[in-house]
Amino acid sequence: MLIEQSAYANRWRQVAPAAKGLFALGGFIAAFAARAPIAAIAVALLIATTTLVGAGIPFGRYLRVATPALFFLGISCLSLAFSLNLNSDTQALSFHLTPTGMQQVAEVSARSLGALSALLFLVLTTPLIDLIAMLRRLKTPEALLEIMVLSYRMLFVFSEAVHDTLTAQSARLGYATSRLALRSLGDLAANLTLQVWQRAHALHVAAQSRNNDGPLRFLEPVFTNKRRDVAFATAGGSVLVLLAVVLS
Amino acid sequence: MKPTVLNTPNSNLLELEHVSFSYPDGGIGLDDCTLIIRHGSRNALIGANGSGKTTLFQHCNGLLQPQSGLVRYDGEAIDYGRKGLRQLRSKVGMVFQNPDRQLFSASVQEDVSFGPFNLGLAESAVRQRVAAALLAVGMEAFANKAVHNLSYGEKKRVCIAGVLAMEPELLVLDEPMAGLDQRMQEELLIVLDELHERGITLLLATHDIDFAYRWADRLHLISAGRCTATLEAADLADCGDALSAVGLPLPKVVELHNRLMAKGALSNERTPRTPRTHGELLALL
Ligand SMILES: Nc1ncnc2c1ncn2[C@@H]1O[C@H](COP(=O)(O)OP(=O)(O)OP(=O)(O)O)[C@@H](O)[C@H]1O
Ligand SMILES: [Mg+2]
Repeated sequence: MLIEQSAYANRWRQVAPAAKGLFALGGFIAAFAARAPIAAIAVALLIATTTLVGAGIPFGRYLRVATPALFFLGISCLSLAFSLNLNSDTQALSFHLTPTGMQQVAEVSARSLGALSALLFLVLTTPLIDLIAMLRRLKTPEALLEIMVLSYRMLFVFSEAVHDTLTAQSARLGYATSRLALRSLGDLAANLTLQVWQRAHALHVAAQSRNNDGPLRFLEPVFTNKRRDVAFATAGGSVLVLLAVVLS
Repeated sequence: MKPTVLNTPNSNLLELEHVSFSYPDGGIGLDDCTLIIRHGSRNALIGANGSGKTTLFQHCNGLLQPQSGLVRYDGEAIDYGRKGLRQLRSKVGMVFQNPDRQLFSASVQEDVSFGPFNLGLAESAVRQRVAAALLAVGMEAFANKAVHNLSYGEKKRVCIAGVLAMEPELLVLDEPMAGLDQRMQEELLIVLDELHERGITLLLATHDIDFAYRWADRLHLISAGRCTATLEAADLADCGDALSAVGLPLPKVVELHNRLMAKGALSNERTPRTPRTHGELLALL
């Protein structure tokens, strides 16, 4: 939900999503083009700075959104850095920190950081509705888009349903003891399953009543300065790629 | 809007004739229900919880098909084939009770555009209709907002806009006032008045007899799946029996007015007709 809030309330909300997508794409390419870790780190820093300073995303929020991803990155780096040896004589397990391993870790993690910063830039500045509209223009299969639209909408309908049910249960002491909590949790799951089905059905009926009998079509938002935005983004993306190549 | 509306104010737009419908679990939705909605009129359907209002509405739009009986639109029995339903649903717009069950697009503008696109309109025409519909409900500033960030009242308006954008002849609203605060209710009333002026026939469900009396031309009472009576709002003061038969009181204004008449505080000459609102009554005193 933090991502969602930023996407709607950042300085670049009115910038064409195509431009933001292009810049992020530049970031991805740069991250993969960067052979030296230092180059990838530089790319990551540049994109992060753009996100924070350009789009005006608060630093604290940026960190909070990035933390889970960084955590998983850390874990996978650890598993890469250490190699597990089984000594056949003593039957003992041992960990080794290998120099080639370190090199590999540095490369991989730097690239991942670059790619992560590009992805964060995109999702923190662009609402999913704009992204979906963009994907539609890129001729993404209609069925896929419809699933995205509906899941996105259902996500909020559901988080509301979960929240309401939880509140209602708590208000009647449903979670007072661990035994009760287990029971309430079971009820919640059962109740939600039913609600999923009912709400999905209700949406289907609503679609029918508005005469839908095929693909879901919607009006797309218009962005006034699209050409200018795209030009800027192309320049920015090229700078990233150049930076990555030069520093490698 | 349509000349026929003006020429034939008393002709029947929608008729339910002895319609019965029960749900698969045996629950009775409608039971031999007969109802007439006239061209260009304002109708309130009044009934307790579970009396069948929502079930009846779903018959107006062809979402449910009567198990026995007949539904006519503009004099002709509804054709439940694909084409017939398409035609019916482009003329009868339905606003659901719970906005979260109607809105399924992510942004306001997208959702409102859904119906017009389904009518097969071109993009420029859709854009026009969306703008006009959002303007009609006073939500034009919200076009690019995300649906889930709206308040309940705002969601309800978006629902109405989504149906208005299809330019229906008959607009059916399931409990439009429920959950709205006083101001939102007043604003919604203004919206409804404008729609009525444009010639759109209105049918809404409510529990609130005071509101129905103030707003509607005709009140339809429903109880246990059956329409027990259709009353002209103008004659409601004499219909206490029909109301109490379904457990409804007389509107408060009527009660007060009757009592004032009995006490001699008001006389017949000064009040040619029973006042419809608190304000009208006060003005008489
Ligand atoms: N999907 C369903 N399955 C089974 N029974 C249903 C279903 N929907 C409604 N019913 C039953 O049909 C009857 C009429 O319900 P309906 O929803 O039409 O009432 P309502 O007048 O709209 O009530 P409310 O004011 O609470 O919205 C009720 O007894 C209800 O239990
Ligand atoms: Mg209902």
